Amino acid sequence: MSYAYLFKYIIIGDTGVGKSCLLLQFTDKRFQPVHDLTIGVEFGARMITIDGKQIKLQIWDTAGQESFRSITRSYYRGAAGALLVYDITRRDTFNHLTTWLEDARQHSNSNMVIMLIGNKSDLEARREVKKEEGEAFAREHGLIFMETSAKTAANVEEAFINTAKEIYQKIQDGVFDINNEANGIKIGPQHSPANQSLNVGGSGGNQGGNCC
Amino acid sequence: MDYFRNMLGAPQGETQATSGADTVERLCERVSSSTLLDDRRDAVRALKALSKKFRVEVGTQAMDILLNVLEQDRNDAEIISYALDTFYHVMSNEPTDEDDATPVNTDLGCQFTEIYIKRPENVSLLLSFLEEYDFHVRWPTVKLLTVLLSNKQKELQEIILVVPMGVSRLMDLLSDSREIIRNDALLLLNQLTKGHGNIQKIVAFENAFERIIDIIRDEGATDGGIVVEDCLLLLQNLLRNNTSNQNFFKEGSYIQKLKPFFQLDDEYAASRQGGWSAQKVTNMHLMLQLVRTLVSPNNPQNQTVACQKVMNHCGLLQDLCSILMATGVPADVLTETINTVSEVIRGSQPNQEYFASVLAPSNPPRPAIVVLLMSMVNEKQPFVLRCAVLYCFQSFLYKNEVGQSQIIQTLLPTAADANSITAGQLLCGGLFNVDPLSNWFSAVALLHAIVENPTQKEQLLRVQLATSLGNPPVSLLQQCCNMLSQGGKVQTKIALLMILCGWLADCPIAVSHFLSNTANVPYLISQVSSSEADDHEVIVQGLCAFLLGICMLYNNDATEAFTKSALKQVIQNRIGLESFTDKLTQVAQNENYTRAAKKPHLYHKHPNEIVFDYEFTRLFKMLENEVLKAVSGTGSVNGRLPGGPGIDHYKALLKEQEDQVLALRKNLEEMQAFSSSSERTVSELKVQVQQLKDQNALLKAQKATQGTPPPAGTNSSPSEEVETLRRELDAMRLQLQNKDAQLVSMTSKENNVNTAESSKIQDGLNTEKPQEPDSAVRLQEAESKLASITSERDSLNERLIKANEENLKLANGKRVIEDEKAGLAKEHQELKEEMETLKKEQDDLLVLLADQDAKIESYKNRLKDLGQQVDDDDDDDDDLEEDEDNDGADAD
Repeated sequence: MSYAYLFKYIIIGDTGVGKSCLLLQFTDKRFQPVHDLTIGVEFGARMITIDGKQIKLQIWDTAGQESFRSITRSYYRGAAGALLVYDITRRDTFNHLTTWLEDARQHSNSNMVIMLIGNKSDLEARREVKKEEGEAFAREHGLIFMETSAKTAANVEEAFINTAKEIYQKIQDGVFDINNEANGIKIGPQHSPANQSLNVGGSGGNQGGNCC
Repeated sequence: MDYFRNMLGAPQGETQATSGADTVERLCERVSSSTLLDDRRDAVRALKALSKKFRVEVGTQAMDILLNVLEQDRNDAEIISYALDTFYHVMSNEPTDEDDATPVNTDLGCQFTEIYIKRPENVSLLLSFLEEYDFHVRWPTVKLLTVLLSNKQKELQEIILVVPMGVSRLMDLLSDSREIIRNDALLLLNQLTKGHGNIQKIVAFENAFERIIDIIRDEGATDGGIVVEDCLLLLQNLLRNNTSNQNFFKEGSYIQKLKPFFQLDDEYAASRQGGWSAQKVTNMHLMLQLVRTLVSPNNPQNQTVACQKVMNHCGLLQDLCSILMATGVPADVLTETINTVSEVIRGSQPNQEYFASVLAPSNPPRPAIVVLLMSMVNEKQPFVLRCAVLYCFQSFLYKNEVGQSQIIQTLLPTAADANSITAGQLLCGGLFNVDPLSNWFSAVALLHAIVENPTQKEQLLRVQLATSLGNPPVSLLQQCCNMLSQGGKVQTKIALLMILCGWLADCPIAVSHFLSNTANVPYLISQVSSSEADDHEVIVQGLCAFLLGICMLYNNDATEAFTKSALKQVIQNRIGLESFTDKLTQVAQNENYTRAAKKPHLYHKHPNEIVFDYEFTRLFKMLENEVLKAVSGTGSVNGRLPGGPGIDHYKALLKEQEDQVLALRKNLEEMQAFSSSSERTVSELKVQVQQLKDQNALLKAQKATQGTPPPAGTNSSPSEEVETLRRELDAMRLQLQNKDAQLVSMTSKENNVNTAESSKIQDGLNTEKPQEPDSAVRLQEAESKLASITSERDSLNERLIKANEENLKLANGKRVIEDEKAGLAKEHQELKEEMETLKKEQDDLLVLLADQDAKIESYKNRLKDLGQQVDDDDDDDDDLEEDEDNDGADAD
């Protein structure tokens, strides 16, 4: 399957906020109610379309537990996008956002697009963090914000796609160096001549072009 | 430390050791005390030179001092380089040329490593040296880290994992333009990733797959050297038992990138008549194992299925199959290719179908399956190759009912084609030839053609074998039994028992066929009750017991001599329950059994290891307990249904079904309620729809009669309008009728006039008739009169018409006048009202006037009384009165 771009994402946030469920909902369109602790990091992938272009998303879902923090840190540098997730029914997961954000900013490349996600929006009755608070936090730190529900799939698709749109926009603006794969962006293998017009960064694209 | 002391005192010469130790001590002192960099550098260089020969001394005395150097002199590449080399020599267990064979030292490197990594900072320090581009720093760092890793793998993996960006920095080494660093980095990464899933994932995240595959390609793929081998080993490290990475490998389309590596270059084969180079064989092996890692039966099934699909789609399977059929491929590569193809097709229907369609380039072309089976039953072929072919055949039939029936079909008499060799013929031939291995392979292959497939078990009963001339043909089943009773090698016996067990299980017809030969049961009984204790004989006895048990379990009581209860009696009386159980349970305790049960792949190295088949062990596991229950069960044997493993099972089944029925009933009720309610709503909706339709029709009709569509939103006014229009119309009609009546009366008047005149004339005529002479004249006169009368009448008619017209005009005029009149009447009314008000005013004025008159009168009178003249005012009063009278007349 050919694609115009490949973006690498990571999903971070406290344990039990629904990171793996978000990924499962996005890649497999299903929900798993039982919490299955992620060990280290798990991988998932899906193709999306933005602006008529095929974009492959490779997503690394990280373990939220403190003991895995050293492992998950290794994934910041090579990611183009990060979904920072908290649980709207657990205030403490919201309070920890600052720590997560500091960690991410410290280890990632400066252009990484971060999307703040308040998950479990289906549990309105147990809500502890107001939507406005999430919005305010996002505004303050320059993040995109969204409330999602991995259970009902509400906004899940949008969260992943909007992040990709933001990255795509940054590429168009020339912010990202697309020839440096360490940024978590790769140009697709250019099979069709139509793809060649995608070389936003100029003469680049050699890295992806030499497959097969 | 005792250990080191012993080492020092050991075989080496006393003097040499002490002098060496002295030198090391002196050098250490110089490094730590000298303030000049040049001095320190020289000392470290000297230490490095001594570090191979006096490994222990340098290790024990210089470690801390050298660490200090690493921390404080890091700006001088040279001294760092010497220090790193020294460490390397101390840690490395590799025998050097100078080393005069002291094998006891192998543990030394580990001990020094342990000391070194006690402080994790020491490892971070090394990792930080990787930032330095200078070859003399970077290369020894890589080598030292590799040695540390190979000495204390687990501990170092954990340390590197925790160092921020530790793994990433090591990964960056793969991009180093200096080949030697890149190649050593491959070795380092191999050590780093071994058995550590999390590091494997991070390495994969850092684009390892892409970079490694690029290196493999640049190095010439399978034709490349040892670097390719290292790359392939690293890839395997990253993928083996790591589902997440396998998924990433598949999703990243890297399987497709492997494909070109399997395209055999014909020129290569031609240029090297001696066959493949050893390196190419190794590379190809690793490449094939890489594919097997992705589709291993031990992986999660969805993962394997997805990879199998990709391999078929991208043509990798096709390339593998062409290697199978290519010439000049070394036997061990061929064997591994067969194993690889097996796992790529195993359980995947499209892949199995493709495999069935592959033809060997022989003359005439034969299916690849047949060619492979020919090798399997050929004693001269290498043992591992024959095992691989069986594995391939099993994988082809795994979950493949179509394939199973195709194979069995070739055994049936209808399909017999004398000229071509079929799979069935090869298997039958293999089953009954003298080579016990061929017997075993063929029996197991046949077993896989009928496993879990009752239809094919029954089909196989139809197979008849031609025996020597003059004798009637014998059934395949009976021939197996005959072979079994004739003795022979243990492998043959076990093979035959396995196929019989698999055949009779879950197939009562086969059981009755088996029991119909009266010799079979006594043979089994004699085997089970024999007391030989040979390792293999025990297996045969256990399998015979198992077969007896199956005969009982799946007995439909069709054979009178051996009904279920009869068999039970026989087992209990002739063998004894305990002995029977003992024999049966011994099968699963056999070492070979556990080995075979591990995985479907046949990984035997020696023909003697061949005893059990994987699929058979599954069958045995499933039925062992059932058999034991059936034989020892105290309950009525008749209660067990043929083909059923026991009452409890059925009870459970019944209960389950009952529950299901209940649930379904409930479901049905709900559905019915739902359907009736929805029917109700449907009928309601129908009525509504009808009403709406009627309304619609009505409106349409109205629209048609009105001619002009009524403006939307004024539904009531049009009907009113219509009503008024109708009323007007009626009024007009009435008027018209009146007019008609008038007309009629008028015409009737005229007619009366006419008739009166004509009657008069007639009368005149009648009276004048007697006077004949005058009559003609009179007639003439009368006639002229009549003519004048008719003309008169015509003119009258004209006048009438004119009158009518005038009448109409008048009517119009009348209407106009009427309108005018109505307008006038309105005006009149208004004027009247005005007049009324004016009159009122006038009255008021009159009253006022009267009052004033009265006052004036009184004043006059007073004045008169006072004696004044008051005459003028009277005239004024009169004038005023006249004016008022005139006003009143105008108003009228």
